Amino acid sequence: MPPRIRSSNCPPQQLLLNYLDAPLPSSLLPLHRSSAPSSSSPSCRSQQTSPQCQQQTSSFSTSQPREMTKPQREFRAFLKRMGKQFEKHEGNGPKYLCQVHQPKVDNVPFPSNKSFKSEPVLSSRARQTIWEAVMLKGMPLKAVSAQYQVDMRRVAAVVRLMEIEKRMERENAAMAIPYAQAVEKMLPRANLDSSEEEPFEPINDVHVHSFTMQQLFVPVSESREFTRKDAAKAFGDHILPPDHKMRIPELVDMEKAILNGIPQEKAEQEFLKQTRESERRFAESQKYVAAKKDAKKSKVDTERFEFRIENFNSEAVGKKGRARNAVGWRYGVPFNDRQRGLYKIPTSVG
Amino acid sequence: MVVKIRLARFGRTNSPFYNIVVAHARTARNSRPLEVIGTYDPIPKKDTYDESGRLHKDIKLDITRAKYWIGVGAQPTETATRLLSMVGIVDPKHQKTPPRKSTPKKEKVVTVEA
Amino acid sequence: MRCERRILRYHSLKRGRVRQTWNKYNMYNLLRLRNSISSMGTFFQQKWAAKAATRAYHGEHIKEKQWERMFSRRLLSAVNMDPAYMAKYDGSEQAAGRGSGRDVKPGKWSKAQVARNTGNAEALTPYMQMTFAPQERRLDIAVYRALFASSARQARQFVVHGAVKVNGKKMQHPGYLLNPGDLFQVDPEKVMIATGRKKSSKSESLSTPKQPAAEEEAETAEEATEAAEQSVEELGPEQLQAQHLEGLKLLHQHAKKIIEANKEKLSGGHKKEIRELSQKIKEAMNRARKAGSDVQETGDDMQNLATLMSHLELTPTERKEFQKQQEQQASEAPAAETTSASPSAPTPLSPSPDYPQLKTRTPVPKTSTKFDKIESQILKRLLEEEKINPYDPSKPYATPWRPRPYMSAFAFIPRYLEVNPKICAAVYLRHPVARPGKSEIPTPFGTQISQLAFNWYLRRR
Repeated sequence: MPPRIRSSNCPPQQLLLNYLDAPLPSSLLPLHRSSAPSSSSPSCRSQQTSPQCQQQTSSFSTSQPREMTKPQREFRAFLKRMGKQFEKHEGNGPKYLCQVHQPKVDNVPFPSNKSFKSEPVLSSRARQTIWEAVMLKGMPLKAVSAQYQVDMRRVAAVVRLMEIEKRMERENAAMAIPYAQAVEKMLPRANLDSSEEEPFEPINDVHVHSFTMQQLFVPVSESREFTRKDAAKAFGDHILPPDHKMRIPELVDMEKAILNGIPQEKAEQEFLKQTRESERRFAESQKYVAAKKDAKKSKVDTERFEFRIENFNSEAVGKKGRARNAVGWRYGVPFNDRQRGLYKIPTSVG
Repeated sequence: MVVKIRLARFGRTNSPFYNIVVAHARTARNSRPLEVIGTYDPIPKKDTYDESGRLHKDIKLDITRAKYWIGVGAQPTETATRLLSMVGIVDPKHQKTPPRKSTPKKEKVVTVEA
Repeated sequence: MRCERRILRYHSLKRGRVRQTWNKYNMYNLLRLRNSISSMGTFFQQKWAAKAATRAYHGEHIKEKQWERMFSRRLLSAVNMDPAYMAKYDGSEQAAGRGSGRDVKPGKWSKAQVARNTGNAEALTPYMQMTFAPQERRLDIAVYRALFASSARQARQFVVHGAVKVNGKKMQHPGYLLNPGDLFQVDPEKVMIATGRKKSSKSESLSTPKQPAAEEEAETAEEATEAAEQSVEELGPEQLQAQHLEGLKLLHQHAKKIIEANKEKLSGGHKKEIRELSQKIKEAMNRARKAGSDVQETGDDMQNLATLMSHLELTPTERKEFQKQQEQQASEAPAAETTSASPSAPTPLSPSPDYPQLKTRTPVPKTSTKFDKIESQILKRLLEEEKINPYDPSKPYATPWRPRPYMSAFAFIPRYLEVNPKICAAVYLRHPVARPGKSEIPTPFGTQISQLAFNWYLRRR
């Protein structure tokens, strides 16, 4: 229920107005406004604006022009001055609102939220590099991810999208090339060159479990080694230590090998071998699952269609024969697919 | 009373979906059957990343139960026969006889035209 | 209820609500936005104001009930674990001594010698900025974030109208919550409409009466080519050569004119000329084929044109170099220009509407028929641009395509999406998270406002 704003001694209306009337820098304000006395009361706005409007009226027109309100005037002035630079994008790089006030602040699109930065995206060249590394050189995804410091999921997505792009190119499908060129010019980019010092993104993300967001006091003897594993256990029996949650655990193995005095080149070779092996194992398990699923179905090819017949147990229908996961349309159970207010949007697309 | 294996139509207008049911012959189509032994989705579907344009149809069937009901004398309808024959539970009604090798192709064309 | 709440004065300057659009009013409102709410009212009033402000931006088209269902008090975050640190330490060094790590040098705390997990910014994790994270999973908002639509409402319309596919299948629910790994694709044509400049009413009014004229021109051109073909059959080989040469010369002259005008500035008129020129070049090529390649000079000229086609595109640095050269040329020979621009000669810079047709026979000095390198490259680049981004009055947006005004201020792609703008497809990689020092949710509001809004939805009013 909305608050009764009339009875309050501080009406939220005014609260919002305060919140809105951010102090504009003098550079944003039109020149003639800076001399005029400022007034926050809306009632006197019309009186204030009318003389100015009369001044602006052209001499040959007898009719009164439509009055512009103060915000409108300020907006127009902004568009003419500071806003002009945003109208047409020029140059090769981003142009964000933050650069109006603080030219030093980099790539912050929202002036009042500094914690959100427009981070670089992969340039078309970088995407091509990744695609070549995976599809032409046959490098494992984990190795590509480690080499270019790009998240593994992003590497997979880039390859997937590039494959679609190449297919569309082959089919001469319509593409938005001028749009892509314009967008690329407007965004900060990473080319994944060796010249870039900063890594593109963190590749060994560990999700922060909500159980670990509390502060615990665990008394242990001073002589005891209290490792990450013990800490995880202290938070909960099912909490995994970060060592088990690493996205590329082979990288840790490599670092360990280097610490143990194995030359870096050899360790890297071993890393490549391990990642290749892990990828092969993953592919095999996927294949196994798919084959097992496929084995359940017998396929009958007719001229027009392929019939996929899946065997199942029709007796697993629950006590009353109405189990939710039972196969087939259930009898005596309302089917609320047209009922209002029930959630019928699919939750996944296969 | 005769027990039949038949289809019961569910789904919506223009999007049929069938239960393969075992029911007494005189009962209504969608009435509660003796048993539901499968489903048949007659709307042909495409695989998501398949570009060949080949379509498939999905059938779910409890083969052991179907065999049991056939064994005790349930009579599949024509459509049900077609579906059950795909997994070899019953013999297909309209068997495609392979053309005899001795008959020349021309004759076949003539018969089709006649 | 399917009916959408219609909002009057969506981008009101007075109310100053910030929206998910690329509108210029919205840009101004964004700039005016203050990052805190006046603390004059009660806590409830502050929360109310914060909620109203944030909800005007975040999923304003989503009903409040629906958003309340979607809201989650569990805010996702992630930390980056440095493999080198993980390999070297097992964590016990942090619990050494009295339980907070042993001082390496008692009394002197040197940061360099303390084991640390590098790779994270030394800053607080802005959890409160994650308040509206569940909304970023929605298909329509993801389409907007991937820069495929100019507003969230437009993105929603694209989904409803069937222009968006998820994993290759049409998805018509804007409220579909994307799962990590989902690939969504928008019809490129729709994206071009959404992000392109509008057709101005002026250009439309100009183009409509012009169309018949253009058709006439085309017809006359066709007639001309037909006549040329006929004449090819009738005339002898020498005459043919002469005719062909002259045609080529005129072509050169015309191209030069355009290029010179182009050096100064690229305007719509020039681009139109380029279009016509490419047409003429094609015609000339056809003629050359008919005439045969026995004449040395014509062959040279044709090669010149062909090399134009195969030249590389100009890079910005090259362009700068050209500009420098041109400036030098201009400063060196102003006198020569004035002498050449005699009143009797046609001014080369102004693109004349009735430029010489191929058939007209005007004598051309031989020296001017050759292109220099720069000219040929510029011409090549222009022809290439024309090929990629053609003029097409049948399109619903202004052609050649240009980005809509004020787009760059809103152009950013959050990290949880991987976008391929060429095919207008993107992958939702993972759910957005907060990291030390940064949040991935694009929200224009400061931490205080987001926190107040979060508190509102905790439902402990």
